[in-house]
Amino acid sequence: MTEKEEYVEELSGLLEDNATELKKQWVKEMTDMGLLEKLTLIEIEQQSTAIYDTCVLTLKTGMYEAAKKYAREMAKKGVLEAMTVDQIIMGFLKLRDVYGRFIFFKYQKNVEKLYKVLDVYEPVANRILSIVALAFVEEREMKITEQQQAMLSLSTPVLQIRDQILVLPLIGTIDSARAAQIVEQLLNSIVDTQASVVILDITGVPVIDTAVANHLIKTIQAARMLGAKTIITGISPVNAQTLVTLGVDLSMMTTIGSLRSGVKLADEMLKLVVMEKR
Amino acid sequence: MSEDTLPVNNEYDIISVRSFGRNAAVNAGFGIVDQCRITTAISELARNAVVHGRGGSVTIKIVQNDKKGIEIICRDEGPGIVNLELALQGGYSTVGGLGIGLSGAKRLMDEFQITSSAGKGTTVIIRKWLK
Amino acid sequence: MEIPILKIEDFLIVSFQTELRDDEIVKLREELLDRIKATNARGLIIDITALKIIDSFMARSLSSIATTATLLGAKTVVVGMQPAVALTLVELGLRIKWNVQTSLNLERGINLLREALKSEKDVVYE
Repeated sequence: MTEKEEYVEELSGLLEDNATELKKQWVKEMTDMGLLEKLTLIEIEQQSTAIYDTCVLTLKTGMYEAAKKYAREMAKKGVLEAMTVDQIIMGFLKLRDVYGRFIFFKYQKNVEKLYKVLDVYEPVANRILSIVALAFVEEREMKITEQQQAMLSLSTPVLQIRDQILVLPLIGTIDSARAAQIVEQLLNSIVDTQASVVILDITGVPVIDTAVANHLIKTIQAARMLGAKTIITGISPVNAQTLVTLGVDLSMMTTIGSLRSGVKLADEMLKLVVMEKR
Repeated sequence: MSEDTLPVNNEYDIISVRSFGRNAAVNAGFGIVDQCRITTAISELARNAVVHGRGGSVTIKIVQNDKKGIEIICRDEGPGIVNLELALQGGYSTVGGLGIGLSGAKRLMDEFQITSSAGKGTTVIIRKWLK
Repeated sequence: MEIPILKIEDFLIVSFQTELRDDEIVKLREELLDRIKATNARGLIIDITALKIIDSFMARSLSSIATTATLLGAKTVVVGMQPAVALTLVELGLRIKWNVQTSLNLERGINLLREALKSEKDVVYE
């Protein structure tokens, strides 16, 4: 066994042997700081044991899987339940302090050994902390993404203007994620409303690059598989030039200047005549 | 990480492996369109193995590291593909779809790796990640 | 697996209900073409509402059935493609031969064929 491994074994052994004491101290310090107000005694006992043991296990094995898994689970629950993120992180910092002080206490008579033990302990403690923090950040980001997706589907409304005509006004920059979501939503709308014509209005799209052009073509082709024709309206002169320069297959597209003429064209396609009410 | 390997030696197997793949995709949490993409990619690879590769196997695995996804490995011990680049461009489209299948599978998935040599068979690995 | 081929006036309608093996698809194709000839059908509707996947082989098969049926005098429409399948097929690639007229559902498909037959113009793949 290497010297490092020896220290790891010695330290984990100590932490295991003194688990009850150290846990009690940790819980007391957290209580003093008011971190555990919303938790029941049972929850405190369970969670503190689980965390303490996971940390010692991580130190002992050098493997972070268990810690990551626990952190992820905690992040999923913790954000919603009894403790806030900063309280949870503070709790971990407290545990680190408790371990740290214990190590100082145990090895105070042998400074050289103290440093060696700290060398073994500190990276593990820090890594665990960053795993915990990261788990929360990722969970938060996932929630934000979910909300964004939800908002996205709200922000790309598919409007049914006639029995069989849908209008989809595209606004803003379109990235891959948004484009994928738009196509899916459109296809489902075609099926739901039994539309035969889709008008894609891109007046509000400032820039068309290859990616967007490809998305447009994909949309047109997929809509056609569902028996719907697509008309593209609102291409600006700049975008028109871009499309030509990009060498996009224009035979794929039916285009017309304004949304209004697009609707008229759609009516003609469906052989509809809009009569004025007299 | 669960992993299953199924044989693909005949047409019945193509259908089984597709079913299996779809279930795996559903369980992994993929949406309807991705389920379709994954199942179709599997079908393309499985068919290549049966038709061109003289049979082989498909391994379907749910992968979870910092991201979660599905990984499919299709192996056959057929004649192998001599000119990979040509095949991926669809250059073998006259030979009943080998190139179309490969390039199709590539387009539908997030990751695509292929190793093949004459006389030694072909292994294709494809992956798709949850977003 | 028996796939029923229905006759409505002078159209044939076939529904792909389950996952078909390659040999079953080939057999079905032969049967369809025979029936078209035997009944002098003017139109063929292939209902793929139940198909949750169309890979390159199925796409080629549908395409070739449509082409051959048309040659035999039956204009062909494929109806009921699922959105997910439509998207996947498009992404699968432009090199997939797909010269098939598609309609949203059975009713539309029948209307389309009637229109086409009335004006005796070809069902145009635009």
